[in-house]
Amino acid sequence: MSQDDEKWGIAHVHASFNNTVMTVTDLTGAETIAKSSGGTAVKQNRDEASPYAAMQMAESVAEEVKAAGITGLHVHVRGPGGNLQKSPGPGAQATIRALARSGIKIGRIEDVTPIPHDGSRAPKGKGGY
Amino acid sequence: MRIAVTGTPGTGKTTATELLESRLAAAGTDADDESPPEPEVIHLNRVLEDEELYTEVDTDRESKVADLDALAAWLEGREDIVIESHLAHHFDADRIAVLRCHPETLEQRLLERGETEAKAAENAESEALDVILSAAVEEHGLESVYEIDTTDRAPAAVADELMAVATGERDPSAGEVDFMEYLT
Ligand SMILES: Nc1ncnc2c1ncn2[C@@H]1O[C@H](COP(=O)(O)OP(=O)(O)O)[C@@H](O)[C@H]1O
Ligand SMILES: [Mg+2]
Repeated sequence: MSQDDEKWGIAHVHASFNNTVMTVTDLTGAETIAKSSGGTAVKQNRDEASPYAAMQMAESVAEEVKAAGITGLHVHVRGPGGNLQKSPGPGAQATIRALARSGIKIGRIEDVTPIPHDGSRAPKGKGGY
Repeated sequence: MRIAVTGTPGTGKTTATELLESRLAAAGTDADDESPPEPEVIHLNRVLEDEELYTEVDTDRESKVADLDALAAWLEGREDIVIESHLAHHFDADRIAVLRCHPETLEQRLLERGETEAKAAENAESEALDVILSAAVEEHGLESVYEIDTTDRAPAAVADELMAVATGERDPSAGEVDFMEYLT
């Protein structure tokens, strides 16, 4: 496929303690191309359910994205993704892997997790929120 | 015993722990002489300011970057305390109370407190993504975390709940709220 046939978008992955949702927009962020209904973990079985639910969600979004002619996605991850893992959490990682497996090119992955702060804040990194 | 009271700025930690302090003192006077001394509430942001325990200033956020090692050293040897701060879960503690608040309500509270829109918005987004809850569970495990939703509760009711955590009347909990719809 030539460069001209490439069409890129941004996947905005929001990964909270027990939920992962994804929205795909154009590169400006203005136009929404696809929106997931959410990969909510089953509470009782959170550790296993979260990555699995996120993966299923990503697969269904990937189909919509490809149908819209998008060939590649930059990924913006917001949120720790919960569940005793380093950021980005299992929800986010499973989402990115599932997108790649579906044949979509993955571009830049950025962690844009917000930082809670008042007069003070934690240093970045070091599990650091 | 050490209790950490954490939560996104605006969840009501300072307000609730000020009420908690007088309750702990009152409980202390009722108890027999064998009881341990009631814990002192430490508002960690005041320690950070007074002792200058920060490494730099984040000028974008008008926020001092905490020196966590220096704060941990300052806390060493202080055992019967309640640590009140959105950084409290970064330190050794027996029980971690995590105050929660719906992001829309949190944003309102922060704007009413006089914070900038940028500050209110970033904290609301942090709350929607469970940033502090996740860090608290990661550092201390599900068995030590006590989530308290303050959204529609008066400060006095939140202080009651903190008292229940302190006395052991409450069981741990985490992930009972889901504020993600705020973002999407
Ligand atoms: N339970 C509550 N219900 C409604 N408003 C509250 C409650 N607790 C605190 N507030 C108000 O919200 C703002 C933030 O409370 P504060 O205790 O300063 O939060 P924190 O210390 O967690 O940043 C203050 O203006 C306070 O008066
Ligand atoms: Mg405060």
